Amino acid sequence: MKDRRTGPRNRRKNVADRRNNSLLDRREWLNQLTGKWDHELLPGNVRIGRDCWLESTGSFGPLASARDPGVVIGDRVSIYGWTQFTVADYALVEVGDDSVLVGPHFMCHSTISIGRRVVISYHVQIVDSDFHPIEPELRRNEAVAITYHGDASRRAPIEAHPITIGDGTWIGAGAMIMKGVTIGAGARIEAGAVVTRDVPAGAYAGGNPARVLGAVAERA
Amino acid sequence: MTSVFYNPDDGEWFEPLPDNVVIEEHAYLYSSYAFRHCMSDRDPAVRIGHDTCVYANSVFELGPQAEVTIGAYCSIADPTIATNGRVTIGDYCLIGWDSVIADVPWPVPPGSRAGVGGQVNPSPDSEIVLADNVWVGARAILLAGARIGENAVVGAGSVVDFEVPPGMLAAGNPARIVGPIRGLRP
Repeated sequence: MKDRRTGPRNRRKNVADRRNNSLLDRREWLNQLTGKWDHELLPGNVRIGRDCWLESTGSFGPLASARDPGVVIGDRVSIYGWTQFTVADYALVEVGDDSVLVGPHFMCHSTISIGRRVVISYHVQIVDSDFHPIEPELRRNEAVAITYHGDASRRAPIEAHPITIGDGTWIGAGAMIMKGVTIGAGARIEAGAVVTRDVPAGAYAGGNPARVLGAVAERA
Repeated sequence: MTSVFYNPDDGEWFEPLPDNVVIEEHAYLYSSYAFRHCMSDRDPAVRIGHDTCVYANSVFELGPQAEVTIGAYCSIADPTIATNGRVTIGDYCLIGWDSVIADVPWPVPPGSRAGVGGQVNPSPDSEIVLADNVWVGARAILLAGARIGENAVVGAGSVVDFEVPPGMLAAGNPARIVGPIRGLRP
């Protein structure tokens, strides 16, 4: 039976294939969901600092970056199982010291930098590209190219714009951080906000699209 | 035909259910995996009413003083309930996919709350109450202070932290009361 593989043709390169494991027993399998697994199982292009807690190996499943390092994690970072590092091509995701990543889905084609002491809540999407062209004619060609049998080399080039999230920022549940956004240090992003523009340091932003609603110091 | 009720002896693939989680008769729970981050010391911490279904990606991220009560005949479709306070859900409620019921806008699992101060680690007084027959849309967010009246509907993607009167539709981000539900007898 033909081996069905979904997803882009550019599989990760230069990283150890973690899936070539012998049968795991039930306890080992549960450990990989509850943070008790061996970090040696991570792809070769992931750097982790000291005293980090990674809940699930699944967070690094979609990592397909050819860059080394492709993911850099600082010291004392907690990464919960809902986190997904979908890092493609030659992209990089950096996470600063003492951050808490509960459920961000990183979709990265360039660079996403998370500062220190950043708290990212459940169901957050951090996406640094539109991934598809907006012009209708190019979009139609793109739709054909990305089908399973399509010619992936005819895809439109992916324009990605780096995202920077400053130190001490808190990102609320369900928020979306879109391409090219820089969020200043100490900002708070409300639950459900869709951030399409830069947020200044110390600002409190919310809504869809997100607007600055005030300063964090006033609302505390 | 195998029963689809919660069967800890046969159907459970994760660790045993915590002692302070009560599942009433004919209720369905996918797995105790939903309680992997539950740190509540209350007794009971979670009560799931009879004939209610709690589906696979639902998760209860409960702090030490948290208490969640879910009524009968509810469909709990994959919300994230993250609180150190009280959440009360009435009978016949429908809770949509990927919704969030939390006591602060930046909830984190209880194991991480101590390390993050301020509003991320609030007091246990917060309360979220849903009356009977409430429909919470997909990806909606209910925050502390949300009181949803009987028969009300919360639109998909809304962020609600205020009182929604009975029979009303609340929608938007920021949320507004849009108007009464069509078809509701006066």
